[in-house]
Parts: sequence; C-alpha cells; structure tokens
Amino acid sequence: MSQTAVIIAVAYGIAVAIGVVISVAIWQSTRFAGEEVDAEPYSRREGAWLLVVLAALFALLLATIFYVPYGETAGAGKQVVRVTGVQFAWAVTPAVVQAGRPVEFLLTTRDVNHGFGVYSEGGVLAFQAQVMPDRTQKVVHTFDEPGTYTILCLEFCGVRHHEMQATLEVRG
Amino acid sequence: MSDERAREVARALTLRYVVASTAILAASGLLGVVLRSSQADWGRVGDNFWYAAMTAHGLGTFVGWAGFAVMGLSWWVLAGVGFPLRPFGLAMARLTWWLMVLGVAGVVVTTLLMGFGASWVFLYPLPFFGAGEWGAWATGLFSCSVLLVGLSIVTWCFGIVHTVLGPALHAVSQNVLTRLGVAMGWGYLWPRAFATNPRPVPYAVIPLTVIGLDMIVATLPLAGLLVWQIFESAGWVGSADPLFAKNILWWFGHPVVYLLLFPAVAVYYWLIPRYANRQLVAGNVIAIAWTVAVIANVLVWAHHIYLDYPENSVQSQINTVMQPMTFSLVLPSALSLYSLAFTIYRSAFRWTAASTALFLGLVGWLLAGLSGIVNATIALDVAVHNTLWIVGHFHHMAMLNIGLLIFGAVYALLPELTGKALYSERTALVHVWSTFVLGMTVFGLWLVQGLDGAPRRFSVLPSEYDTLTRVSVPFVVLLAAAQVLFFWNVWQTIRGRAGAAVFDERGLPVPVERGRPSLGTAAFEGAGMLAVVGLLLAAGAAGFVIGRESAEDDGGPAPTAPATTAVEGGDAAAGAEVFASAGCGGCHTYGPAGSSGQVGPSLDTTTLDAQQVEAIVGSGRGAMPAFDGRLDDEEIADVAAYVTEG
Repeated sequence: MSQTAVIIAVAYGIAVAIGVVISVAIWQSTRFAGEEVDAEPYSRREGAWLLVVLAALFALLLATIFYVPYGETAGAGKQVVRVTGVQFAWAVTPAVVQAGRPVEFLLTTRDVNHGFGVYSEGGVLAFQAQVMPDRTQKVVHTFDEPGTYTILCLEFCGVRHHEMQATLEVRG
Repeated sequence: MSDERAREVARALTLRYVVASTAILAASGLLGVVLRSSQADWGRVGDNFWYAAMTAHGLGTFVGWAGFAVMGLSWWVLAGVGFPLRPFGLAMARLTWWLMVLGVAGVVVTTLLMGFGASWVFLYPLPFFGAGEWGAWATGLFSCSVLLVGLSIVTWCFGIVHTVLGPALHAVSQNVLTRLGVAMGWGYLWPRAFATNPRPVPYAVIPLTVIGLDMIVATLPLAGLLVWQIFESAGWVGSADPLFAKNILWWFGHPVVYLLLFPAVAVYYWLIPRYANRQLVAGNVIAIAWTVAVIANVLVWAHHIYLDYPENSVQSQINTVMQPMTFSLVLPSALSLYSLAFTIYRSAFRWTAASTALFLGLVGWLLAGLSGIVNATIALDVAVHNTLWIVGHFHHMAMLNIGLLIFGAVYALLPELTGKALYSERTALVHVWSTFVLGMTVFGLWLVQGLDGAPRRFSVLPSEYDTLTRVSVPFVVLLAAAQVLFFWNVWQTIRGRAGAAVFDERGLPVPVERGRPSLGTAAFEGAGMLAVVGLLLAAGAAGFVIGRESAEDDGGPAPTAPATTAVEGGDAAAGAEVFASAGCGGCHTYGPAGSSGQVGPSLDTTTLDAQQVEAIVGSGRGAMPAFDGRLDDEEIADVAAYVTEG
C-alpha cells in the first residue's frame, strides 16, 4: 500500500467507526424511548452542525490542496522519458532510468484514452496519470528504490485493456 | 382531476416504474455476479463479453434499476405530499417510462448481442476503436439507446418541474421564477419574498425540484455528444476533441449520480417522519444546502478527471477549483443526514422491515459519503483513481444507500400501491439485513483491494489480487441469492397471497402475522443461522486458501501457449493486407507498406526469420500485444512472410 493509501485507510476506518457508533446510538435511543421527546431543539442546532461541517471541510481543503500533482517541474539534471500508448501496448523510451534523480514523463497516445499507472516491484502504485490522444501530459516522479517497475493501463481502453503492460527499469 | 383519481393515476404510474425497474435489477444484477466470479476464475467468460457485460451492468443497475425506481417513486411521493400530476406532467411521466424501457433494451442488445464493450462512460473516442470486437453499427445503435435513456431523464425532469410548480405549491406569486424559488425552499429563508399560503413547501419537494432543474442542464450537452457519435458512426462528421468530449461526459456523469440520490432524499424526507411519528427535524439552513446543491451539482464534473492535466490546457485549473466546489456538495448530504438522524433520535420509531431498510440506507449513505470525500480530494484521489476503491464507493452508494431505500420504500408502499398486504414481513427483514451485511462485505473488499492498487475494469486482475477476489465470490453469490427473497416477496404480494392491506393510525401498513411454518421454531432458526454463518466462514476460508495457493505459483494462471502450429510458407501478398488491416503500421515503420509508426522497432532493418516473427506476432513481446486471438495461424504466417521477404 502506498503512503497515501495508508492515510486513507486509517482516516476512513476511524470515520466509519464513529459513524457506526452514532448509528447504533440512534437505533438504541428509539428502543427504550419512554415518553416522546420534543424535537424542536434539534432543529435549532442544525445551524451549529452546518458550521462544524464547514470548518471540517475547510480544514481538509487546506491540508490537501497544496499537494495537487499539477504543474510539477523536474528542474536541472532531469531525465526525460517519452511514453506513447496504443491499443494495447506501451512504448517507453528510454525504458531505463536512474533512481534518485527526477524523471519527467511525457505521456501521449495514438488512439484512445489510456491511464499510465506505475507499480513498484512490491505491487505498490507509485503514481498514475491519464493519457489523452492529441495531447501531451507531463508527470514528474523521482524513484527512490531501484528495481523493475510495472506499467499498467489505468483507463479502460478496450478488449485487451488488462493486458496492456510494460516495464520500466530503475537502476541505482 | 379529483384527488382520488389523481392518486389512482400516480399509483398506477409508480407501480409500472417499480415493476419494470425491478425486472431490470434481476437481469443486470445477475451480470454483476458473472463479472465478479469470472474475475475469480470461477466460470471465466471471454474478455469482450466481460467488458460488454460490464457496460450493460453499469447502465442497467445504475440507471435502469436505481435511477428508474426512484424516478417512479417520486411520482408517489409528490402525490403523497399533495402534488397531483396534471395532464402535461402525466404525459411526460408516461413518455419517460417508454423511453427508458426502450433505451435499456437497446443497451442490452448492443452490448450483449453486438459486443459493444466501451463501458458505460464510453470514453470518446473508444467507441470508434473496437479492436475488431464491435463496429460502427454497434456504436451508432448504442449511442441511440443511451440517447433514449437521456431523453427519458429530460422528460422526467419536465414532468417533475411542471408538477412542483402547480397550484399545490400554494405560492402567492404567479411569477415562474419566484415559484421555482418557493419550490427550492427559499420560503424558509425569505418568507416574504417567497410567500406561501396556507402552508410552506413540503421538504420532499425541494430535492426533486433541484434535480429536475439540474438534470435538464446536465443531460442536453451529453445528448449533443451522443448525436455526434451517431453521425460519426454513419460517417457524416469527423472526430471530436477527446478532452472536450471527456468534460461533456462528466458534465452529465456527475449529476446523474444525484439523479439517484436527490429523489431518494425526497423519499427519506417523506417516509422517515411517518415512521418516527414526528415532523422532519429541519432547520432553515436546509434550504441553504439545497441552494448550494442546485448550483454546485453542475459545476463539479471535473472531479472525475482530476488526473487529466495535459499541457497547454486549463484542465488543471478547472480541476483545482472543483475540489472546494465538490466539498460544498457535502452540505446537502451532511444536513440531510443530520435532519433524518435526529428525526429518528429518541422518537417512537416503528421498526419494520421497511423502516429498517430505510435506516440502514442512511448508514450506507454515510459510508458512501465518507469514501466520496476521499475521491473528491485531489491529493488522495491520486492513490485510488480508477482502482477498485471507486467501485466499492459507488456500490455503497448505489446498493446500500439507494438500493436499500428502494427496498424499504417498496416494502413500505406496496400495500398502499396495491391495496394488498406485504406477503412476508419476516422474509423482508431477512432480505434487508442480509443485503446490508453481505453488501458491506463485498463492497468493503473492493475498498481494500483498491487501496492495495487493484485496477478497476480489468476482466482479469493481476494475480496478487486473486485472494480477496476469491474470498468475495461466495458473498457475491449470497448477495444475489438474497435478492430472490425480494422478488419472491413482491411477486406474492402483488398476487395478494397475504390478503388485503391493513393500516394503523399513522397510515403505516400493519405487518401481517402469519402462522409460523414448522421450520420457524426458535431452535430451528438458531440452527439455520449458525449453518449459514458456518457456510460463509467455510467459503471465505476456502477462497483464502485457494487464492493464496494460486498467488504462490508465481504469475498466476499460465498464459495460453501461442497458437503457432506453423503454417509453412506464408503468402506475402496476403500478408500485406493483414499488415494493413491489423494496424501493424501504427507502431512499426515498414517501407514496403509505407508506414512510419515509431512505437515499435522499424521492420525495414529486421534480421529475424519468418518463424521468429510468427512467434512474436502470436504471443507478443515487450510492449507489443499478442495477436493470436485476433489473427488466425495463416494470417500470422502471411504477415510474417510479408515483413521478412519485403
């Protein structure tokens, strides 16, 4: 699992656990209800709940919006790899890069939309980006670990989509 | 129309929608079982059939079942809150039904029979690159079918908007725009400007108005793209811009999710208070949330294409702006969940199979919402985009939120729609709980696989994911089996097997207490439950063991040996035609063929002999795919002769 995936797993797990506890509490509250309770205060507090939700969303926005993958540049000493997708194959030139130095991938395709997903030897999704016909998309990634990385197509592209694979050699 | 007559009309309409959508669920749900068990190598189907079935399953269950069902329930909700259909609305409602049924039928024919397998998003220009599996006819007819579905959504919107603006709105103003504001709940915020007399707009009307307006705006550009595809398949126009087409697709593709959710919210708003025996707990802020919704819903499409940011385009800026826009769409859900939860909290809630389904549907809504926030966040989407996490997310949404709501609404409303008592309350309760528990398991496994990087839309998954795929199949089968309880219950109810419906003082149907069958004694029930749990554990364990074993023999199932029963001496002239038709020149430069492809090595300088070329063409090498499935032995021999002799 990638680091991001671990963060998602933990955050989602905690949120679901809280949600389940609240759901059970609501369910239980109806089973032992004595006389009926006036619901009017709940209506009035909905405004407060709105503020709580807004604050939480704003915090999440601030915490994440600076980590968008857009507009990355590789700078000096970069390695350039040109990638062309075609139903159902990848052309990766060169297919060997150095670890520790930024790699600028220039992605395009000759036919349909494809997805460029790069997996480490341990099966961890290192990064991914979409590949469009008639356009070039730039992705920058620095490989820390040497090894043979597998490229899968991560945008459905037709009957042999799942066979559209290639490898990328990262040397130390 | 008299009140009674109007209710009669809405009743017949809703029943017709519910019956048709339930039939579609039966068919397209079964396809889902085929898809997942094929992935687990438990009845493997051909690749193109798999993708065609995926296309049919997606459109069938999402729009043909869930969308269609809540569209139908909306008519009954409107009748229930005092908004009768008038002649124009009624005509639209009837037209909607026919367009949807014809459209879904067309989708079934073009996918399962004609092999169209470009997935429900038919990401342009994929429909025109069928790789020999489907042609222009299938693309044209598929586009026509989806166009019918789209038109069905638009006519439904016309019917909804016409109905909510009718005299039942009790708006003081006769101005159409003011009346629209009233229908969107603005009277709760500005009582003078959007005055009503004698009563404010019922809450259930608000989400229906919002989606009625949005889906007109959202669907018309898609209709344009579909018409373009129809023209292109007929050869009348050239190709369109792929990035623009992608934006148009998601311009529709996001709001259509809310075509399911917002009418479902209307049903929750209407039914939950009836079971809780109190008014919907709703502060005035709920009107703010719905106003945000009507705008944001059509301005968040790019969160589906966060990972498209080609150079020399403004896509990355659009995507960045749409993260906060998408976050704002959390408001209608967060406030509605608050309202519905506190409507139930410490109320004299009447627990039946129907209300249990509604309650569990709210839990499903929460789960789907939480995973949705992950998808809405660009920095997190990078890790889960186009993985099975997304599949888990929208199944939580479609089956455990919308689906359970539909089941609950059907159990709650069938007695008042048919006048007949629900056949079996107990069966309904078993169905609801097993759907929830099995659904949580099946969809939860997708979330886990997705976080582990498992790609979605793969007919054959990389072998490291086999273990969990196999574990999930028994649960998938049981989930499907549980739905049989629903079909059986509905069928027996409509046949009137439990007699006439009886309603309590709240207007809720009273569950019929039927004599327990001899199997139903407590001891038997306990033993039965233990057996089922044991079976599940055993199946899961078996799947785990099988999966682990297959993961150990490295690389999973052995690739099929290339069919190179070498045909002696291919015909180079025939090979030239094969070279052209198989598209070899797209990747390879080859002088005699006049091709200049740069993806693969040039064939002008090849030193291979014909037999080596046959082997490579047949089984592929490096980036080059295997052609043994697309070319026969003779064709491979011919093309090998062509490139070696030339």
